[in-house]
Amino acid sequence: MLSAALAIASKDLRLLLSRGTGLVQALLLGLLLIFVFSLSQRVGEVMGPQGAAAIFWLASAFCQVLIFNTLFSIEEANGARFGLLLAPVPVQAVWLGKGIAGFALLLCAQAVFLPAAVVFLGQTVSPLWHVGLATVLLADVGIVALGALLGALSQGQAARESLLSIVLFPLLVPVLLAGIRVGAAAFADDIPEGVDSWLGLVAAFDALFLGAGIVLFPFVYGGEE
Amino acid sequence: MRTNRLSPVMPLVGLVAGLALALCQYMIFVYAPVEQTMGIVQKIFYFHMPLAWWSLISFFTVFAASIAFLRTRNWKWDALSGAAAEVGVLFSGLALVTGSIWGRHSWGVWWTWDPRLTTTLVMWFVYAGYLVLRTLDLPRERLGTVSAVVGIVAFLDVPLVFLSARLWRSIHPAVFASRGGGLEPEMKTTVIACIVAFGFLWAALTWLRAAQRRMAARIDVLATETTI
Repeated sequence: MLSAALAIASKDLRLLLSRGTGLVQALLLGLLLIFVFSLSQRVGEVMGPQGAAAIFWLASAFCQVLIFNTLFSIEEANGARFGLLLAPVPVQAVWLGKGIAGFALLLCAQAVFLPAAVVFLGQTVSPLWHVGLATVLLADVGIVALGALLGALSQGQAARESLLSIVLFPLLVPVLLAGIRVGAAAFADDIPEGVDSWLGLVAAFDALFLGAGIVLFPFVYGGEE
Repeated sequence: MRTNRLSPVMPLVGLVAGLALALCQYMIFVYAPVEQTMGIVQKIFYFHMPLAWWSLISFFTVFAASIAFLRTRNWKWDALSGAAAEVGVLFSGLALVTGSIWGRHSWGVWWTWDPRLTTTLVMWFVYAGYLVLRTLDLPRERLGTVSAVVGIVAFLDVPLVFLSARLWRSIHPAVFASRGGGLEPEMKTTVIACIVAFGFLWAALTWLRAAQRRMAARIDVLATETTI
């Protein structure tokens, strides 16, 4: 299953990146969000670390919605979805493949958002940066597990972006809170309650939705038009 | 066709709910004493708590009915999950409003980062999104499956939302201690009576909406057959 998933992921990444426009829309939206939120401060004012972390994760969440819509729309043309469904691999390989491709794209986008948040929102990087980075990686796993599952919901839908956002965002609350809290600590080196409980929470989220994805994806990814 | 008829028990449940709620009004405003520090505003508690409880039970019903639908493909489970979600969103919305009024009077703020309040709000958002999803113009089979999947995923998230809200709160000042302790016996009896009465109301509403949904689906099928 893993090799099939990797094949699907590499196909998606090649298709999106060769087109050039694949990630650009998501990147631009995220950057715009960070820039617009930077206008909430007066000139010379520095945003609090928690506010900056919240904006970073908000940009990531919107970017992720666009990423999964794009990833699932690849197979919408010419009935390519039937090709994937007919392939002699478990249908969960499609979920895993989309998840891996989404993870890679989200990380690329965050590699741009992070310096943007530091620059536009006036943040510094504290000695806790490695914990922040580990949380980003761990949180992204849960986010893409859920995104790859729910991204398939919008197949054949015109209003997919808005629909996916309203279903997905509230479900992401636990992992966003963890990301914001530890992200704020990575900017300001201050987290009185410790990072362990937050990392545990994100790990639980990852495990829960990786399991849910494996069980539920075959139901949402079907041959219906 | 018989399965689409309204059960004769349903109006009875509605009647019991009405009578029980009327009795509760008496118990709330006459039988239960007025709380010393909060005064009359404390009476909100008798509405707030049953609403919050039954909204959570609604969401669990959506979860259980969604699993049952995916396993059996029986449309009665789909109708039940849709009905339970509607009642759950209504009840949790009312629980949020009453909780907010309570909070304003009790702690001086309309909103506080309390794990229970936050969980209720997030659930309200999730199930409101779920209801929007159910209105989409999709083939019936697909809509049923997609709704069931979201119904399951949504409930899986509840414990994590609660835990994360509790962790988050540790960085905010705690504005109140756990409530519900030290209730007068009359108050306790009234709360229990209210929970039971709202239970009947919940059952009557959910049952009625589920029956309506089954009928609507039947009419849709008949209309399609006639067109063909």
